[in-house]
Amino acid sequence: MDIWNFLEYGAWALSVIFGAFLLIDLIRVDTTYDNDLLTSSREGEIEATQERHTI
Amino acid sequence: MANITNDAAKPERLQLLRVLGPAHVWALGVGIVLVGEYMGWNFAVGKGGMIAGLVACWVAGLLYTCVAMIDSEVTSTVAAAGGQYAQAKHIVGPLMAFNVGLFLVMAYTMLEAANAITVGFLLDTVAGMTGHSGLHQQPFIVLAIMFLAWLNYRGVLATLTFNLVIVAVAFTAICVLFFAIQFGASNVPLDFSAVTEEPLPYGWLGIVASLHFGLWYYLGIEGTCQAAEEVRSPARSLPYGTMAGIMTLLIAATLTWYMCSGLIPWEYLGQAGTPLFDAARVTGNVWLMVLLFIGTIFATLASANGCINDASRAWFSMGRDRYLPSWFGAVHPVYRTPYRSIVFLVPIALIFALGAPLDQVVTFSILSGLLGYTFMTFNMVMFRRKWPLDTIKRGYVHPFHPLPTIILLILCSSAFFAVFLGYGTQLIAMMCFYIIASLWFHFRRYQYVRRGDQFTMPWPRPQGY
Amino acid sequence: MAYEPKKQGLAAQIFDVVTLLVLTVGALYVPLYMGLAGAAKTPNPIENPTWEALGQNAAEQRQWEALGITDPASVNDMITARFDYSFSWAALIIMIVSVVGYFVLVVRLSDREYREVLDERFGSKRKGG
Repeated sequence: MDIWNFLEYGAWALSVIFGAFLLIDLIRVDTTYDNDLLTSSREGEIEATQERHTI
Repeated sequence: MANITNDAAKPERLQLLRVLGPAHVWALGVGIVLVGEYMGWNFAVGKGGMIAGLVACWVAGLLYTCVAMIDSEVTSTVAAAGGQYAQAKHIVGPLMAFNVGLFLVMAYTMLEAANAITVGFLLDTVAGMTGHSGLHQQPFIVLAIMFLAWLNYRGVLATLTFNLVIVAVAFTAICVLFFAIQFGASNVPLDFSAVTEEPLPYGWLGIVASLHFGLWYYLGIEGTCQAAEEVRSPARSLPYGTMAGIMTLLIAATLTWYMCSGLIPWEYLGQAGTPLFDAARVTGNVWLMVLLFIGTIFATLASANGCINDASRAWFSMGRDRYLPSWFGAVHPVYRTPYRSIVFLVPIALIFALGAPLDQVVTFSILSGLLGYTFMTFNMVMFRRKWPLDTIKRGYVHPFHPLPTIILLILCSSAFFAVFLGYGTQLIAMMCFYIIASLWFHFRRYQYVRRGDQFTMPWPRPQGY
Repeated sequence: MAYEPKKQGLAAQIFDVVTLLVLTVGALYVPLYMGLAGAAKTPNPIENPTWEALGQNAAEQRQWEALGITDPASVNDMITARFDYSFSWAALIIMIVSVVGYFVLVVRLSDREYREVLDERFGSKRKGG
């Protein structure tokens, strides 16, 4: 066992932590909020409000 | 956060957060691309010799200047996440948009995988130099992707500010190496005798063939458009950031060619894994080696980071329009990122990074990019024809139309031929993939799409329709 | 009359994503398994390799040395390897037809869908002729 072996295990551990955060937060958000709210984003809001592109 | 959920009186909409400035756009564009200077471009030298490498560098530079100009004009007018995808939807039509969306997701996810593979390879090299042989690369590949996905999940401002810092370091490293060599820090002198002795080992065909990897110098600069919905003033920031980006890259690419060709025999350079790091090794200066090692790692991370950002935006936009299941079109209520798309693309990137060989992944990425540039040519012509300059206000109007379009089309055709020399089978396999996917979309998937809702820009009806 | 799209259930959504994934992974791995992928260089090693015989001048020899290579024989293959750029015209024509055909197909089908979108967005317009 040298430092590189520890780094390998460290990298696995960190990967699991980051991955777990992603999954847990995703599940938490999906169960807390209404899906219609989450998918309420629409394209073209900027144009509708600010950049009208009229000459 | 409270104002999002507690405001029950009027239906609130979740939008991506608009926080970015021109510097972030620059960091996104250059960040994805700069890794091309640290690895990959040098296969152009292998495919055609030293002069061909330089010609490819500048010809590809011209191609991408056209791309940047065309893209800036259209994107400064279509400010939507998904970039070229939203352009195609408004200008050419839904099926084209679906294909462009796929080009983007493929090109970026494959590039992300290639970057992760490179991180593992570099760490293995360094472990080997310290006397540890047989490093397991998988944990580092997985960690790179997981960490960057997490960063992207947590918010776009932090993600691209992080990118800005590491890209600046990586670009500075190239400049420092150049000046150090100019002021005599190298033990070994620059030598360009191969330019005269063996100018074109493959003749003129070599120049065309080298264009294949010449694209690597700049591949991905068009990714700046993906940020359109998160930029504070897209009509101004996007052209700014993109143009500054292409200038940065032209400088970096020329410096890189000059240093590497002068310090490394071209036969070695043509197959090297990390050419700039090797150039630093040839100088014999330990500080330069450390600097260029850091530069290489930062460049790969910045690129993977930008790729996650862009691929998820494109996937998210397609979900929002129901080109893909609408589940993907969700925005995180707190971080305001397309979180489901980010998470979904993680295992995809892992499949490619852990399972496929590097050159396959890279070729798939280049080909998807190339199809995207070919699309830009007729997209630009149609844009000017359907909405002439006096019908809608553009944030930026590029000069000399249609000259850039024509140049771009000629260069794209040459690049297809260059890829065909040696990678013809992949090219045809990929065309089959896109043809089958198109038929699938047209005959099955499109029935779930709302027709009129796809056209979201406040433009008049296009001329001729 | 605005087109009302069908509602898609969860299982069907998953099925659609899986279809796309299978296509992608297939396009990447099929050429690989058929052994058709990749361009190879062929080395043409020379007899009695010295730096001079391999065309490396004094400066280049120092560069090789700095890269950790002192024995010219060990890079004989690397220096003499060349790509083979011969190709068949039939393959080139297949490539051109598939690329051009693909874009024509996509643009034509897109145009049909695009007119529907415009009619719904801006109201139906009777086309003359």
